[in-house]
Amino acid sequence: MDNMTQFILVLFLFNCLFLAASSRMLHLIRLVAVQGFLLGALPLVIDIGFIHFESGILSLINLVIKGTLLPYLLYVAMKKASVKRELEPVIGYSFSALAVLLFCGAGFWIANNLPLPTFFAKTTVATSFTLLLTGLFLVAARKKALTQVIGFLTFENGITLFGIGLMRHHHFLVELGILLDVFVLVFIMGIAICQIQREFSHIDADKLTTLDDLPENSSSGDVTAKEASK
Amino acid sequence: MTNYIPLFLLSIPLAGAVFILLCREKFIRHILTIFAALLLATVILGAYTKRGLYTIGSTQLGFDIYDPAFYVLGITSVLFFLVTFYLRSWLPADKESAALRNEPHGMSTKTFAVLLLIFVDTMVLTALSRDFGMLWVAVEATTLASAPLINFHKTKSSLEAMWKYLLLCSLGIGLALFGTMLLSASLAQNASLSFYSMAVQSPQWFKAAFVFCFAGYGLKCGLAPFHSWLPDAHSEAPSPVSALLSGSLLNCALLGMWRMRDVAPEGLLPFCNNFFIFFGIVSLVIAAFFIIGQKDYKRMLAYSSVEHMGLIALMIGFSSEGTALIHMIFHSLIKMLLFLTAGNLLLYYGTRKIASVQGLFTTLPKNARNWMIGMLFICGTPPSPLFFTEWVLVSRAGFVYGAIILLLLFIIFCAMCSIVMKMCMGGEIKNDFPQLGATTEKVTRVPSFILFSIILAFVASMASLYLLAIDNFFKF
Repeated sequence: MDNMTQFILVLFLFNCLFLAASSRMLHLIRLVAVQGFLLGALPLVIDIGFIHFESGILSLINLVIKGTLLPYLLYVAMKKASVKRELEPVIGYSFSALAVLLFCGAGFWIANNLPLPTFFAKTTVATSFTLLLTGLFLVAARKKALTQVIGFLTFENGITLFGIGLMRHHHFLVELGILLDVFVLVFIMGIAICQIQREFSHIDADKLTTLDDLPENSSSGDVTAKEASK
Repeated sequence: MTNYIPLFLLSIPLAGAVFILLCREKFIRHILTIFAALLLATVILGAYTKRGLYTIGSTQLGFDIYDPAFYVLGITSVLFFLVTFYLRSWLPADKESAALRNEPHGMSTKTFAVLLLIFVDTMVLTALSRDFGMLWVAVEATTLASAPLINFHKTKSSLEAMWKYLLLCSLGIGLALFGTMLLSASLAQNASLSFYSMAVQSPQWFKAAFVFCFAGYGLKCGLAPFHSWLPDAHSEAPSPVSALLSGSLLNCALLGMWRMRDVAPEGLLPFCNNFFIFFGIVSLVIAAFFIIGQKDYKRMLAYSSVEHMGLIALMIGFSSEGTALIHMIFHSLIKMLLFLTAGNLLLYYGTRKIASVQGLFTTLPKNARNWMIGMLFICGTPPSPLFFTEWVLVSRAGFVYGAIILLLLFIIFCAMCSIVMKMCMGGEIKNDFPQLGATTEKVTRVPSFILFSIILAFVASMASLYLLAIDNFFKF
């Protein structure tokens, strides 16, 4: 059982490394789906023998929503927006992989310095920090809106993993609410990506600069004027 | 029986949304929205003597006048009620103006009404929740329900504002979720996260939890330096939605930070207060910096919201919670008046540029009056209720902080006044856009009514403030 959990955590770390190093959208979506599966499976593996009914159900819902439904939504958004890969990231792929390694080191360092009771808790919290930081890194270092959503999901998975590591669960209703929120969020983000594609004919979030207070790239008033005169 | 009040409150907007989905007649949909808003306001304000605590599983929903959440609930319901009346004349006028200027004519009124009701419902849930888990779920749900509302006009810039709002707020609120996890680590195993039975065991974990929750909810409530989404979202949203975002959503998010401070163990209270004071001052500085020379009047109002959230944070930081509540109530009402008036100006002029609006007193005299008085009120000019709350704040803050706050408030006052003077005075300038005349005057009724009721509420509250000796009554 213990080997199994450690194995899953190692898979998480590899997953982060691949996320940072791959450019194909389909690949990224698959990696997030794998994260969802691992996240759903982890509590089941830990709790074998004394599995609680409610946490088992939650784990299964997690598996379904994060492992299948969300990646499917992202896949649809990808098809509609017809993007295949992240072409010019802000930070290159090899350097991104290096950054994830650094995050991993930082995660283990932080977890080591926290007053955590067991070896299991330490490794899980370290992995969760790696996921959290990788997610934030992806949001900042990638331009496409879709990749940013994937970064956000990784970040969210990191938080959930942190909860599992501490073995403190919120209550059934709250966990369900969190899952529902994430689901609706990705749903709305998917729709937004399609609309951005239609309006701007690209989904590069760094080019969304019509609204700004700093004079060099501000054109907020002009946009309304242009649209009005159209 | 009273324990069912929270459930009843939650179900009113939701039922309204369902009925509107089923209903075909446009007129009946309007009536239904107004009815739902009226019912919500009546139940909340009418049941103030009652206490309700409803338990579902292991989380609780509560309704209680001796809790800051009650005032947030009250503000939300009153603001929503006023907005529904405003919408009755604003929605057709907006369609008309869009048709006149060949703009895309936005979302359908049915979708708009349903989303608005769901948005209000999530805010009600935020104020009713009695543990940190549910609070997080509710605050995140407000983001989700309000994001499509920001994209009402479906233009490029509104889409961009919605995207920034979604991504930034979700990431920020993600930090608050992390903080909530840390909070549960600071408690005994399997202890509940309820506000009322919190026994923090490990102060170290609690400190970390407070920092993350503060950052998360602070981002949602627009405290600088986490405010960058706020001016975009508030200026791009249609004016009735901006009024709700600024008047009640920010208060809901503030509640999250306030709750964290309330459950802090005795020894950590100064630590928490310092956070409120520091970020309050930073918000004032940033707001002052960006209001000077602002070119867009709705963005100016958005920065003024940043300023007032900073002021409320300062009041909480200097432990005068009662003043913070009074400030919150009047800021919401006055900001609503200003945003609705800004909506009228936008209808008439078709632009948010300050430079293209001039001579309001000759073109739109009633709106000019509302705009001018509202602006003086929001800056805390003496007869304004905000003057008294800011006065209490400055007298509480001590010499150095008091001087800094006064200086920043003075800068903001000058900057806003010069902008408003430019807009109100002078002759009418020729505008390229076709303008709506008669419709705008019709839309002015609700803001005028709000102005009247603010003055009335102010007179009433001055009398009661005197009796309550300002601060000592509201100790939660």
